[in-house]
Amino acid sequence: MATAGKVIKCKAAVAWEAGKPLSMEEVEDAPPQAMEVRDKILYTALCHTDVYFWEANGQTPVFPRILGHEAGGIVESVGEGVTELVPGDHVLPVFTGECKECAHCMSEESNLCDLLRINVDRGVMIDDGQSRFTIDGKPIFHFLGTSTFSEYTVIHVGCVAKIDPEAPLDKVCLLSCGISTGLGATLNVTKPKKGMTVAIFGLGAVGLAAMEGARMSGASRIIGVDLNPAKHEQAKKFGCTDFVNPKDHTKPVQEVIVEMTDGGVNRAVECTGNADAMISAFECVHDGWGVAHKEAVFKTHPMNFLNERTLRGTFFGNYKPRTGLPGVVDMYMRKELELDKFITHSLPFSQINTAFDLMLRGEGLRCVIRSEE
Amino acid sequence: MATAGKVIKCKAAVAWEAGKPLSIEEVEVAPPQAMEVRVKILYTALCHTDVYFWEAKGQTPVFPRILGHEAGGIVESVGEGVTELVPGDHVLPVFTGECKDCAHCKSEESNLCDLLRINVDRGVMIGDGQSRFTINGKPIFHFVGTSTFSEYTVIHVGCLAKINPEAPLDKVCVLSCGLSTGLGATLNVAKPKKGSTVAIFGLGAVGLAAMEGARMAGASRIIGVDLNPAKYEQAKKFGCTDFVNPKDHTKPVQEVLVEMTNGGVDRAVECTGHIDAMIATFECVHDGWGVAVLVGVPHKEAVFKTHPMNFLNEKTLKGTFFGNYKPRTDLPEVVEMYMRKELDLEKFITHSVPFSQINTAFDLMLKGEGLRCITRTDQ
Repeated sequence: MATAGKVIKCKAAVAWEAGKPLSMEEVEDAPPQAMEVRDKILYTALCHTDVYFWEANGQTPVFPRILGHEAGGIVESVGEGVTELVPGDHVLPVFTGECKECAHCMSEESNLCDLLRINVDRGVMIDDGQSRFTIDGKPIFHFLGTSTFSEYTVIHVGCVAKIDPEAPLDKVCLLSCGISTGLGATLNVTKPKKGMTVAIFGLGAVGLAAMEGARMSGASRIIGVDLNPAKHEQAKKFGCTDFVNPKDHTKPVQEVIVEMTDGGVNRAVECTGNADAMISAFECVHDGWGVAHKEAVFKTHPMNFLNERTLRGTFFGNYKPRTGLPGVVDMYMRKELELDKFITHSLPFSQINTAFDLMLRGEGLRCVIRSEE
Repeated sequence: MATAGKVIKCKAAVAWEAGKPLSIEEVEVAPPQAMEVRVKILYTALCHTDVYFWEAKGQTPVFPRILGHEAGGIVESVGEGVTELVPGDHVLPVFTGECKDCAHCKSEESNLCDLLRINVDRGVMIGDGQSRFTINGKPIFHFVGTSTFSEYTVIHVGCLAKINPEAPLDKVCVLSCGLSTGLGATLNVAKPKKGSTVAIFGLGAVGLAAMEGARMAGASRIIGVDLNPAKYEQAKKFGCTDFVNPKDHTKPVQEVLVEMTNGGVDRAVECTGHIDAMIATFECVHDGWGVAVLVGVPHKEAVFKTHPMNFLNEKTLKGTFFGNYKPRTDLPEVVEMYMRKELDLEKFITHSVPFSQINTAFDLMLKGEGLRCITRTDQ
């Protein structure tokens, strides 16, 4: 390509400071260095994690920064040593990575790569500690190694999944973060069998993706748990057969579920990050997982374990980014996995701040942003 | 058999009250009723659970009672409806059961039978709520449905595993409780791969059985954790390559283990029932793939606490009951592992006494001497 090896000037949505609307700027994007890839981003979605680090409430503020990590694009050029990707390949950038060499990557059971595991505080590339983005020579920081709110972005090759070029990037871009996290939690970690009963705690996009996994597994009863009664209607599209609002009951929700299922559900997935919900998810079930806030403590009576319940956590649905994601894209291509129902909004790049507004108001599930208008 | 359908008078060691030496008495053992089997016990071992319920500290006292649940015997006669067993079959009585009809028995993943799951407070048969043992017409209570401290005992058919008649009952009797519990915790629940690192918390008989499972699975490094340094020497026979005494360290033992294994062990099994050991067991496993298994039974008030990020980092915490073995379906195969010499049982048996000296077995256990003491019922 004519641009290979050269600085590309392009548009990017820059977060200059915490909580202020992103500003569309012309940035210079340096060529990829060793083991890096420069991608042309075609579609990017907004995920809660972008909003957390944009608000930077309790997070280390790293500004100015280009956010964005749920996206799909095409390789523009590759740096030295990159052999698995060539310009033109269709790719999904991922906020965590797979070096293929560390103990975690060599283990069948882990996806917590030692080298490229998510690092939310790092704003530079891993090898030289520099940013590839500049405006008038001043660095603009990266986010999660992806920074997809830019027409072009430089990413470590270990954080890029090569996918079927036939797959529509405006749909499968969602698989680069939240949807795979929820889907994999169910399919890879809880592994429900056909006919089982599954409970899902929290019916946002991740929870509904976990529910989609339960539907795909042939669960016969899928119980959605959420504090917001409005979530029930939407969840029906994802296979929700029963809805429980903990606010409607005086007894703990785990007791309600144990009663309505004659002893407990076979599998449960916790997608709220609230420690009480985690405990409820665990105590109503045989299997559970959870994401929780930093100060949280998971407490339960150990007899709950001795009664042969299992508690497992997962990160990114236990998918290895490079090895696992192409297969998820193929599940969509075979029409086993439905993605379209997650996409509730679509906007041109210039209106990216509207996507933030929608998420802050809790409207919709995923807003896909088109980098090219 | 000539005794079938009749009351059998035989010797039994009766616990008349909490903490008092057992007394060898002549008891009457009624014939087995529907779905019951009368078993001639040849060998019985002593397990900590017998001692707990004999001491009855914090347990519901049920006396007079015939304790005992780790044993091997031969079917003497069977009650109505029993088709799987006939007189002469070699069996291991089990303190929990397998009805084969409930949701748990039908699930591949559970051994917590709804009908016959362990009930420590029940002192009678489940069918009619009566005891089969009497002395001068007064009932003597059963214990965990087995009461093997008797020459003859009546047991629900769902609590009996029919085993290979070639297997020596004086050895395989230890599989009816503690050893299978520890062994299964490793083989069925933790499932270490060849070459992996395994930590075992608590090096009593159950912990050493868990260690035996790690050895059989081909673990390359087996770390024993115990507060008693004397346990190390014995544990070496079970494959222990490293020993950690938490008392030798100022930092929490989980941190010691994480450091010595460069990130954590692949699998850990907890066999003490102490809540701090439970938490350490979970926190010492490697992120990404570590599996911790809880075996030991905690106090009623115990609370398991950890930071949920430990789960998010892809550590798994599981509990197990009786090593996840279904008593009737799976125990025969554990006996076969011994017969194929994959599983070594002799090293667990440190003492042997005749039935008349059963109180010596209690003394040995209270002093912490040895691992398993086999009592020969027919002497």
